[in-house]
Amino acid sequence: MDGNAIEIKDLYKSFGEVRAVQGVSFEVKKGEIFSLLGPNGAGKTTILSMLACLLHPDQGDASILGHSLRKDPMGVKSVLGVVPQEIALYEDLSARENLTFWAKMYGLRGADLKQRVEEVLEVIGLADRARDYIKKYSGGMKRRVNIGVALLHKPQVILMDEPTVGIDPQSRRSILDSVMALKQQGTTVLYTTHYMEEAQELSDHIAIMDHGKLIAAGTNTELVRIVGEMDRITLTVNTEGSRVVDAWKAVRGVQKVSSEDGTLSVLADDSNQVLPRLFEAAASSGIRITSVAILEPNLEAVFLQLTGRALRD
Amino acid sequence: MKALDIALKDLKRSFRSAFALVFMFGVPLLMAGMFYFMFGGTANANTFNLPVTKVVIANLDQGGEAFKNIQAQIPGVTAATSMGDLIVSTLEDKSFASLMQVSLGENAEAARTAVDQQKAGVALIIPADFSTRFSNLSGQASLELYQDPTLTIGPGIVQSILDQFMDSLSGAKIAAAVTVKQTGSTDPALIGRVMQQYLAASPKGDPTGTLLDIQDIQPSSKSTDLLQKIIGPILGAMTIFYAFFTGTTTAQSILREDEEGTLPRLFTTPTTQSTILGGKFLSVGLTVVVQMVVLLLLGELIFHIAWGSLVPVSLITIGTIMAAATFGIFVNSFLKDTSQSGLVFGGVLTVTGMLGMLPILSGAASTSGVLATISLAVPQGWSVRGLIQAMNGAPLNTILLTLAVQVMMSIVFFMVGLLRFRKRYA
Repeated sequence: MDGNAIEIKDLYKSFGEVRAVQGVSFEVKKGEIFSLLGPNGAGKTTILSMLACLLHPDQGDASILGHSLRKDPMGVKSVLGVVPQEIALYEDLSARENLTFWAKMYGLRGADLKQRVEEVLEVIGLADRARDYIKKYSGGMKRRVNIGVALLHKPQVILMDEPTVGIDPQSRRSILDSVMALKQQGTTVLYTTHYMEEAQELSDHIAIMDHGKLIAAGTNTELVRIVGEMDRITLTVNTEGSRVVDAWKAVRGVQKVSSEDGTLSVLADDSNQVLPRLFEAAASSGIRITSVAILEPNLEAVFLQLTGRALRD
Repeated sequence: MKALDIALKDLKRSFRSAFALVFMFGVPLLMAGMFYFMFGGTANANTFNLPVTKVVIANLDQGGEAFKNIQAQIPGVTAATSMGDLIVSTLEDKSFASLMQVSLGENAEAARTAVDQQKAGVALIIPADFSTRFSNLSGQASLELYQDPTLTIGPGIVQSILDQFMDSLSGAKIAAAVTVKQTGSTDPALIGRVMQQYLAASPKGDPTGTLLDIQDIQPSSKSTDLLQKIIGPILGAMTIFYAFFTGTTTAQSILREDEEGTLPRLFTTPTTQSTILGGKFLSVGLTVVVQMVVLLLLGELIFHIAWGSLVPVSLITIGTIMAAATFGIFVNSFLKDTSQSGLVFGGVLTVTGMLGMLPILSGAASTSGVLATISLAVPQGWSVRGLIQAMNGAPLNTILLTLAVQVMMSIVFFMVGLLRFRKRYA
């Protein structure tokens, strides 16, 4: 356990016939930001729900700072801060009233409680709006209070479940900065997202999930190395993209091809050599390419390499 | 301590909702107020004024020989030339001045027209052969009452007075008929004496006062009591009815918080499931406590309702609070989500509430009878029963028996609700 804030061992969870998590294991070191990256339905939220003691694992166990989920759930809860995916606040209470209530639920009382609430209001930048009801806040402001609740008891480990979903770029930037600030304070953050850019920017380590399984884990550099020096080419065509997929898969130098919403993604060994062949194959099928972009290897390419699908699928 | 924090937070949220406040306090008071003013309640609680009803009488009665034969023998009839005159003079008596304003119509049509045009509330039409039919021992005399259908109290009072008047005369007539049958004599003097003796044998012992037993209806403490006896059970029943609604809608916050994500978030804090559910249950109880105490106090302050002695009322209030809160938890534990609540609450609470209020709705405000027995099938019925008992000054052991049933019902509701919620959030 030395050095690890979270240890997950062979976790399983099913909902009826749906196997949401299938034998997932990984460790999160103390003080690092660890991102679980994957599309919707990959099992990220289910893992976080088990770590937050909201769901019982069917099999396996996990420990947070030495507290076992199965044996010591109250110990887990006492060292854990949870930022749920949806806003979980009382809309008809003010930000200060919300924070005060949740602080009490984490056991804070008296002067400590008041001081901590004011500190968190400053951290989330809402001290001047503290008396306003939550229902009067913008989506980004609600997200910040939502995160603030998880900071009240100064937890050593914070679970954040897609905290930037559905908010404006400014609020998103603010949240990402606050996550980085938490790391600088020594807090361990387990962060789920389906935004590749967030995972790349924030994370010390990243685990990629798909269909309830962990398909790759490592640092950003380590993961990108999976796709080697391959380039990712995104193209749009003047017709249904699926018509050209098979033709392009047969092109020499092409490793993977996927199509989504009219955009085609191609993993290729060398874009300079492959691109003319793609044009040629398209032309022979009577299809015209309308735009082309060549991207450096990234997590999107990794996911495409490992699953044959784009990350946003 | 955390349970209390959860309860106080819920209480704060409840009392910040204008809708909840109107529902919890406004509607019961409004309904009681409507009855209060309907029955003549005013800012001065020492007066109870029934509305004065305008009565137009078309007296077509021609009298007749038979009537003249017995006229001299009946007290109060000597000055009248017909039974119709007697009725008119009776209704014009100053004793009724505060209840009705009598005028004479030229004929039946004019009297009815006065009612149709809302110049009068009631038209009384005395037919031409009324005296003749009345004087004939085997005849049947009848009057016609024509009333404004939008009025209820005034015409009812007029009819009640006439009923009493006619009952007295009918009794005397029956006595005369029996005499004729037994003696075989049709001597008017004999018949007159029999009727006089019948009327003299009335409880008051004063033949002149027997045709109508006129009670004092001037403002008095008795009138205030009457008002309280009408408004008290109504507001009491409303308080109970809405207390159960409040209990159920407040308990719904468990489901609502589940859907809003705050309940799952509570489960991620180092707070036990028992504390969280205990806090939610406590909030339901506290909300009903506030509602009931406020409504009972306002009932006393605004409507001067005497709820009864402090101990019985307190005991029944406690029993009702327990029953309303636990019934709310019980009902909500069967709901999948809040989308089902409208239909279920509307159905369950309306039906059980109406059943529980049967003793009040029947107008008797009694704890005995078929309706009162049926009402005991639901917890609201026991609360209504307890309230009536407290208002009627029932002995403490009777109150305690009702309280015991309320407590037992509450325990059952609570246990079922607790088990179901624990299972759901395990």
